Amino acid sequence: MLLAPLATLGRGFSADAVLLHLSGSVMNLSANQEAPLPPTGTIVALAWATLAMMVATLVGALRRQNWFWITGLIGSVLAVTAVVTLGNSIDEQTARVMADSALRPGAKRQLRNYYASAGMNLGLFLPVLAGLIAAGAGLSARDWWWQTFNRMRGLLVPTAAIGLAILVGALVVLIVQPAVNQSGAALSLWSGWLAKADMVYFVYSTLFAPLTALNPLLDSLKLATPLIFTGLSVAFAFRTGLFNIGAPGQLTMGAIGAMLVGVYAPASLGWALLPLSVLAAALGGALWGAIPGILKARFGSSEVINTIMLNYVASAIFIFMIGNDKFPFLGREYSLPFKAEGFEPRSQELQEAAQLRPLLSVLNVGQNGAVAVSIGLLVATAAFFGLRLALRRQKNRSLIAAAAALILGALTWQIGIPVSVTGSQLNGAFLIALVCAALFGLLMWRTATGYALRAVGLSPKAAEYGGISVARGTILAMTIAGMFAGLAGTHYVNGGALDEYRLKGNMPVNVGFDGIAVALMGQSTPAGVVAASVLFGTIDTGGIDVDQKLDTINRDIVTVLKALIVLFIAAGGFLSRRVTDPPPPALLASAKAGPGAPSLDGTSAAHLERSTPLPNVGQNPEHHRDGDK
Amino acid sequence: MNLLEQLFTTAFLVTFIRSVVPLLLTALGGLFSERSGVVNIALDGLIIFGALAGAVSTKLLEPSLGAAAPWVGWLAGMLVGGLIAWIHAVVSIKYRANQVISGTAINLLATGVPAVLLTALYGVSNESPKVENALPLWGIGDLKFSPPVYFAFLAVAAAWYVMYRTPYGLRLRATGEQPGAAASMGVNVRRMRYSAVILSGVLAGTAGVFLSIGNLDSYVRNISAGGGFIALAALIFGQWKPLGVLAATLLFGLLQAMSITLDGQNLLPSTLVQALPYLITIIALIFTGRSRAPKALGTPYDG
Repeated sequence: MLLAPLATLGRGFSADAVLLHLSGSVMNLSANQEAPLPPTGTIVALAWATLAMMVATLVGALRRQNWFWITGLIGSVLAVTAVVTLGNSIDEQTARVMADSALRPGAKRQLRNYYASAGMNLGLFLPVLAGLIAAGAGLSARDWWWQTFNRMRGLLVPTAAIGLAILVGALVVLIVQPAVNQSGAALSLWSGWLAKADMVYFVYSTLFAPLTALNPLLDSLKLATPLIFTGLSVAFAFRTGLFNIGAPGQLTMGAIGAMLVGVYAPASLGWALLPLSVLAAALGGALWGAIPGILKARFGSSEVINTIMLNYVASAIFIFMIGNDKFPFLGREYSLPFKAEGFEPRSQELQEAAQLRPLLSVLNVGQNGAVAVSIGLLVATAAFFGLRLALRRQKNRSLIAAAAALILGALTWQIGIPVSVTGSQLNGAFLIALVCAALFGLLMWRTATGYALRAVGLSPKAAEYGGISVARGTILAMTIAGMFAGLAGTHYVNGGALDEYRLKGNMPVNVGFDGIAVALMGQSTPAGVVAASVLFGTIDTGGIDVDQKLDTINRDIVTVLKALIVLFIAAGGFLSRRVTDPPPPALLASAKAGPGAPSLDGTSAAHLERSTPLPNVGQNPEHHRDGDK
Repeated sequence: MNLLEQLFTTAFLVTFIRSVVPLLLTALGGLFSERSGVVNIALDGLIIFGALAGAVSTKLLEPSLGAAAPWVGWLAGMLVGGLIAWIHAVVSIKYRANQVISGTAINLLATGVPAVLLTALYGVSNESPKVENALPLWGIGDLKFSPPVYFAFLAVAAAWYVMYRTPYGLRLRATGEQPGAAASMGVNVRRMRYSAVILSGVLAGTAGVFLSIGNLDSYVRNISAGGGFIALAALIFGQWKPLGVLAATLLFGLLQAMSITLDGQNLLPSTLVQALPYLITIIALIFTGRSRAPKALGTPYDG
């Protein structure tokens, strides 16, 4: 807290800030030196109290006292109070400026933006975090808390990996980004450090900012959509013990399939055009996934290598199809119908009936241009989960809940809540992605096929012995994984995510590789994949903002963060095995009780299985067959 | 006939050799890593890091070192390649991570780090400024190549000698086949694997240096153009043997050179010719399966 700025009192457009330090001193680096600043006395006092609590917590923790979680919690609350107070005084200041009739409207707007980006800084954020961690650690001495914590153990490695990645990223920002100083005054070593620390906070707060407002959040969901598809694809293969690096190629083939049907199918098909086009995307991806599946099952060739090779083959087909409208073959020129007129590589436009409309225009029930989002979806979702929980005893509760949800959703479809959203490009592919996530969960954990696939993933030998065909499982898993990745093509082609309803040369196929990161972050569960995709979509959106505001840090920092997350998850977050993967309590108890004690019960075995997101992926099959000699 | 005339020219030979060299160096690197039992999917990323380090350090040292700068740049490329490979080694050997995931992480890093670094240094994210002193060209007449070309062909011979005629090579192969047996004979499995992975980074880094300051005179985004993956394919097609690797890279290099020369000709669509190495690899894998791969490839050693 002593080393970092406490709060930002105002910030200009190019990230130039007015910083408040714990000592009460204010450092103005912004271009606007005259802007009036909110009062800071209360905040500084609260911050000192927080610091005292933090010191007490540290002393308590070092002496292994039981009370240190209380001081941690109080410190956290104090820091939050300081943040809220700060927010209030900034709001008052903004209101005062807005009411000031002596100012021009342009200057007012500028000042409003100036205050809008003010708020807490590292000096307040870190104590909130530290206090909560201390409270969490202190409470773990209590049994109920420990058990809750144990249930969430799967989140431990991703969380540690994100934390480490953010730390390394912060170092990069510290080294690379010079302090933004528009005040004209020279910086001493100390104020230079403060300004640099502020840059770290600024970069991260901008990256995660899309989570806090509706419009950017919708943009994040748009960027998250293809990640959900490719993440599900990689995760599905992971669960079956396969590594699908082929998502980029499968996505490409899916997009080509969607384009072929969307452009060239007869228009007389009418509304069926859209489902057929989506189906074609699924088929294209499934085909490209099935090839390495069959090759692995039949000839034992590694799916890792084959999917990489097929990525390049798909990209060659892609460029061949839409890069040029004619091609030479043995001295003659043949023409290709796919490329549209013009310099840019892109296909013809999709027929209107094959386009997925923006989600907002689908959900909008407002009249006369007003935007009012239908609450039907929300009601249906709430009804489904509520009823499922309420009817816990009922055997086919899911069915009843789904039926009720459908009826309620249809009834409430015409009721809308007005929202202020402008031009969001989030399209129907997002809903398809959510459906895919649900399908993934149903198929993997609620059907016999899913059981067989998981068995193949956990132990091919045991599965084979149990009468499950490993070859069939491999082919099936790769086909379905390919299908998920292929459906991502609908986002770009049918959904018009690249501003046009066409197959375009600038389709970012690399989201296929991001799918690996997403699947790892989400621990290969559908809910985890969706959450991780939204997180990645958020920092992708925030990265664009960072790009605009700073010269030396650009959105590639986001790529670096993603790569670091993958690296750290691969290394298990550098956590000890005893922390991440402890022996189940039942096993410990039975070991302690000696022979004759009850053996592992079903629940903890199921828990163990869930916590193995990467069963034997990439292992040499020969090695398994020979056994460990 | 027109085509044959096109193919039997010195210009084509130069293109051919230039296509072969990065593949050959990288595949030799992959050979060491995979014969020790560590899958190295990171090769493509290692090329990029090597290329970046070569170009940037040459540019930085040029004012003071002059014509000696690219040689130091080469050294820097090898060092950085080795360093990044060391990260792969630590994560996959010490922390027993899944080697494919760890390699993927390195490849992802290679798409982000160069852009961040170049923006910080020069304010542009996709290329480094041109260097004045690239690596010199040695040779006679029109057949002039930069030193890494000669290094690459010497490296094949050296790799063969090391692999089959030295104790290190014997231990390395044992480590990749039966790490347990090797360990019981007193071989330090982890140290063997570390050395092999780092060596693969040094070789792939050299390939990158050749691309950035041997072939061109600056680093450009995606300079490897998937060469690391073709090299991986060549490694498999060459059955994890030095001479096989040489033959495979010659074939794939020939295909690449042909697709470059064919561009603008009216014989075959060049985009499809570019895809041939990948298709050939898939077909080759059908016939060989994994039968010739090192037995312990991809399995962390727990001893």
